[in-house]
Amino acid sequence: MVCPLANFEELYRTDHGAVYQCSRQNCYWLEFAGDTTAFKVGDFLSFKKKIDAIDVSAMIINPSRTADFTIVMPFRTPRCFVLYINDVLNLRELLNGAKFMIELNSVVNECLKRTPHSLV
Amino acid sequence: MKDLLRLKTSLNEEIENILNAQIKVEAHSSSIYLAMSSWCDDQGYDFSAGFFAKQSEEERKHMMKLFNYVNDRGGKAISPEIVNIPADFESFRSVFEQMLEQEMYVTQQFNHIAEKCIKLKDFVTFQFIQWFLEEQIEEEYVARRILEMFDVIGEEGIGRWEIDKHIPKVSYEG
Ligand SMILES: [Fe+2]
Ligand SMILES: [Fe+2]
Repeated sequence: MVCPLANFEELYRTDHGAVYQCSRQNCYWLEFAGDTTAFKVGDFLSFKKKIDAIDVSAMIINPSRTADFTIVMPFRTPRCFVLYINDVLNLRELLNGAKFMIELNSVVNECLKRTPHSLV
Repeated sequence: MKDLLRLKTSLNEEIENILNAQIKVEAHSSSIYLAMSSWCDDQGYDFSAGFFAKQSEEERKHMMKLFNYVNDRGGKAISPEIVNIPADFESFRSVFEQMLEQEMYVTQQFNHIAEKCIKLKDFVTFQFIQWFLEEQIEEEYVARRILEMFDVIGEEGIGRWEIDKHIPKVSYEG
C-alpha cells in the first residue's frame, strides 16, 4: 500500500524486493515478502542494523524448530517480519544495496553542490 | 535525488560509531573511579576517596559532552551498558597505577578518533575533540605526579597517610 501522492524513486531492487525513496514525505519504502512498509530515515538505518545483527549461524546450528525463523517487529510500523534463514539473507542483500545507493546519493549531491572554488 | 540522509544527520556513520564507543569508555572511566573512591573510603584514605569521587563526576561530564554532540549533529547517542567494574584493588598504589593506565588508554582512543576525523575529512568533529585531547594532558599529568609521591614520600610509617593528605593538592598549572 503506497501513498498515491508520493514521489517515488527506486533506490535498489533485487529478485526478492525493492527499496524506494519518497522525497515528498522523506521516507523509504521497503517492498518485501508481498508487502510494503514505510520507514523514516533513522528507523530505516536501525532496521538495517537489526537485520545485520541476526545471528544466522546460531539459527542454523540450533536444532529446535523455533530457531528456523526469527521475528522482527520494527517500531512505528505495522509490520511483523517472520524471517527464515534465506529471508534474512535476501533482506540483507536488499538493504545493503539500498544503503549503498543512499550513501552514493549523498556523495553525488555533495559533489554537485560544491562551488567551483573548492574544486581547484 | 533529494539527499534524505544528510537532512537527517551530519555525522558520518563511522564517526558516529566511534563517538558512541568513546561515550562508553568515558562512562566506564566514571564507574571505575567511583569504585576506586569506595575502596579508598573503605581503606581509610579519605582524601583519595574524595579525589576519585570528583574524577568520577568529571568523567560523567565528558561522557555527556560527547553524548550531546552526537545528538546535536543528528546522530543517535547510545546510553552505554557498563559491566566488569572491580570492587576490590590490590593496594593504594595500584589504584593510581590503574588510573594512569586508564587515562593513557583514553588518550590513545582520542588519538584514533582524531586520525579517523582527518581520514574522513570531518573537521567539525576534529575541532570538537581538541578539548578532550587537551584535557588528557592534565589527566595523565595528575596521575603520574601522584604515583611519583609514592616514591618521594615512601609508603612506610605514616607515608600512606601523608600521601593521601597531599592528593587533593596535585594540580596541573598548564
Ligand atoms: Fe575523560
Ligand atoms: Fe579522565
